[in-house]
This record gives sequence, C-alpha cells and structure tokens, in this order.
Amino acid sequence: MAKDKPDVARLVDEAAKAIGLPIAPEYRANVILNVERSIAIAQPLLDVKLDDALTPAPVYRP
Amino acid sequence: MSDPLSKAATAGEIARAVATRKVKASAVIAAALERIEAAEPTVNAFTDIVAERAKKRAAEIDASKHHGPLAGVPFAVKNLFDIEGLPTRAGSKINVDGPKAVRDGALIRKLEAAGAILVGGLNMGEYAYDFTGENAHYGPSRNPHDPSRMTGGSSGGSGAAVAAGEVPLSLGSDTNGSIRVPSSLCGLFGLKPTYGRLSRAGSFPFVDSFDHLGPIARSTEDLALSFDAMQGPDPDDPVCTHMPADPTLPHLGEGLEGLRIAIAGDYFAKGGEPEAFEAVATVAKALDADKTVVLPQAAAARAAAYVITAMEGAQLHLPRLKARPQDFDPDTRERFMAGALLPGSWYVKAQRFRRHYRANVLKLFSEVDIVLAPATPCTAPKLGQVMMTLGGVELPVRASLGLFTQPISFIGLPVVVVPLQRRRGLPIGVQLIARPYNEKAALRVAAFLEKQGVASAPPV
Repeated sequence: MAKDKPDVARLVDEAAKAIGLPIAPEYRANVILNVERSIAIAQPLLDVKLDDALTPAPVYRP
Repeated sequence: MSDPLSKAATAGEIARAVATRKVKASAVIAAALERIEAAEPTVNAFTDIVAERAKKRAAEIDASKHHGPLAGVPFAVKNLFDIEGLPTRAGSKINVDGPKAVRDGALIRKLEAAGAILVGGLNMGEYAYDFTGENAHYGPSRNPHDPSRMTGGSSGGSGAAVAAGEVPLSLGSDTNGSIRVPSSLCGLFGLKPTYGRLSRAGSFPFVDSFDHLGPIARSTEDLALSFDAMQGPDPDDPVCTHMPADPTLPHLGEGLEGLRIAIAGDYFAKGGEPEAFEAVATVAKALDADKTVVLPQAAAARAAAYVITAMEGAQLHLPRLKARPQDFDPDTRERFMAGALLPGSWYVKAQRFRRHYRANVLKLFSEVDIVLAPATPCTAPKLGQVMMTLGGVELPVRASLGLFTQPISFIGLPVVVVPLQRRRGLPIGVQLIARPYNEKAALRVAAFLEKQGVASAPPV
C-alpha cells in the first residue's frame, strides 16, 4: 500500500490548475492535509463493489 | 405548568396562555427580548435580533380574535434562513455583501402563519460545513451548560438559544447532523425530518442531496407543534414532498403500543466514549428494547456522505473560493478547497452506493419501527479543541462529531434526538430513527421517554 501512496501535494497543485483555483502558499499545506484526510475517510466507500445495475437514482426519494 | 413569561415555558404552554388571554403576546416577546439581552454576552447565539418586527407582530396577535397553535411563541432561526430585509449570512462574511432577502424563508412564513413570532437570526458554522458551532467571523456559540465548551454545529446558535431559555423554539438545518449534534451537546429535543418533508425554499443551501431543515425545542410537544405547522408541499423546493400534511401532535400520547424498537449494533456500538453507549442503554431499558439490528455497511455510508458533502459543497462555493478566499473562515476554506479537487468518480460511486444502502436499510425497517443509536460519540468538547480520543483512537473533532449521524441523513431517514441530563457531567442525546415519513413513531417514543422522566430538557 505504502508504495502506491499518491503524491497528494502534486495532485493538489495540478488539479487546482485544471479547475482554475488559485491556492495561496499559506493555504496549500492545509489543503494537502485535507485531501489526505479525505482519501483516508473515503476508503470504506472505495472498497465497496457495486452491481452494474445500481444507477445513481437521479431523482432521489427516501 | 411554567409561568409563560419565564425561560422554562415551552412553546405549547405559551401558546395556550396567549390563546386563553392569560398573557399577552407583547409581554411574552418583551420577556424573551430581555432574556436574550441578558444571556447573549455568555452564549453568543444571535447574530441578528428583529425586535421591532417582533413587537409589531405581537401587537397584531394581541388584537386578533383568532389564535393559531403557536400564538405568541417567540422563535429564532439559523441565519441561513432568509429573513426579509436582512442579508442571508449562512455564517459567512461574504454573504453580508450580497442582496437582502426580499421575503422570509418558507418555514418562517409557516410558523408565523400559526401565530409564532420571529425574534432573530442565529449564529452557525460558516456555510454549515461544521459540527462545532465555532465561527471565526462572529465568534463561537457557547454551550449554556458550560460556556467553555462547544454547542455542536453547525446549528450552534439554534442549540444555545433554546438551551439558555432565550427562546423555546428554534429552526436549524441538518445535512450530516447539524440539528442532531447541537441537540445532543446542548441537551435538547431535535427533529431532523424525512428528506423532502419540509420545504427548504428561502434557505441558503449546502449539499442539496442531504439538506434538511427542522426544529430544536425543550419538549416533544413543541417539536410536534412546530413540525405540524411546517408540513406540506411547496413547489418552490424541487425535492419537497407532494404528500399532504399528516399531523403528529394528536398521536403523541399513544405510547409504545405496536412499536418494534431495536438497538443499532456494530458501527453504532463502537468508536465512541462510554457515556454515548450508556445513554443508548438507558433509553433501551426504559423502552424494554433488547433486540440489536445491524445497518449494513454503515462505515461506507459515512464515507459516501463525507464524499458527497465535500464535493457538492465545494462545487457550490467554487466561485467564492476563487474570488474571495481570504474572506472565508480559515476552518472551512481549506476543507472546501480540498473538496473541489477530489476525483469525480468518487462522487458518482457515492451516489450509486446511496441507492444500494437505502434499499438494504429499508429492508430492515420491515422488522422494526424505531432504531436507537447514539447522537454524538461524546459530550461537548472544549471550544478550540482540534483532536479528541474516541474509543482509544485520536481523531479530528470537526470530522468526528457526526460519525453516528452521517449514515442516517445520507438516506434521508427521519430522526428525533432525545436528551439525557446526566447527574454528573454534560448532557448527551440518543437518536430515535424511523422509516421515511414515520416521524410520528419517533415522536411517540420521545414523548413516552419524556413522560417517564428519562429524557428532559430544562433550560440552563
């Protein structure tokens, strides 16, 4: 797992450029920290396997 | 029966006293405004007070022959609700430069049509991306039980104002737990209705997929009174129900008969401090509930709720993040920026998973009517606290206060939070979770617990 760890700093810099979001140097470290946290928190979702028939239900009804 | 002019008076008690002309609405409003003035230096719940408007409305009610079910009841709203003539802050500095609202939000109009009287707008975490009640622009709302501690958020002012007895009723919003977390930490009754059951028209959005509005109060009766007054379709909110209002108040006294109640196990039975689980055990004992059910894949549901929140919230605010990053609260800015950079495939997967999880959880509700779960993993943390230990693991406070609420709002289930006042220590809440559109069952159970003396919310 460790060797597959993404370079989050680079991801932040490049993705921010792609969407035209300037990130001031004083905010950058905390943005990187929050993307790292998001990757950790999202993991249980990313591990789920879903059937192809499961569409996102564009009109959501509880 | 409390004195209708005292801070202990509930909305129901005030409305009955006004309807029978035992007290004037004008006197109720004057008393509320005095209490607000006295408590604000400590609790910092309000950002806007509309005293003249409230006095005028009270005079109209006193002159009227017909009184609604909330006649003369002072209430206040999280400042993401539109209030005519004011900018809709949504906890931000940026929105203050925006247009002033030309009309009150739909739920304010409905409560006022029932006789209630708006007295002001309440403090909240910036743009509702918050579980703490802290705010860099307006200062934190402070917990009346201990002003050195958090109210919980993001409806922090909505919790503080009711717990301090400034008003008996407030409105908040709940995307991932923002009504339920402050209800738990401030020791109050809170209702997060079914997704789409109450109109969100005239409120500032956060995450359209999960945004809900609802009441916080000091009694179950007040939740039901206000919920019933706010129900009904509204074409101005595209997700609002087409179902007619279905009053809950007449059913509050029906007790537990016919209700199957179970305790949420697995995910909801770990990762919190002992007091969270002791509260669930106390409620379960009072309800004679011993069956445990498992909401399958709750951890993935929490992850999916987190992803959708981060990405929808960031997309909503992207123009402001580009143009005015320096004017954001530092505690929300970099989280919003991070959300704008996450992979789109996560978002789509989270939405697909929502349908899967919903189907599995609804199956469970063929066997039970009410599921019990902790509302928060702990009692109120200290203001400014960044990390906390939950179940022996060091975790960020901001992301973790909603651990037990996120997997529920993710699929829009209705929840009533009941507060337990602990003899030694701060209050904590328990979630009574029901199937969609069955708020009535959760409110019946809450009323039973209140009658038994298990749940209560005296003002501080």
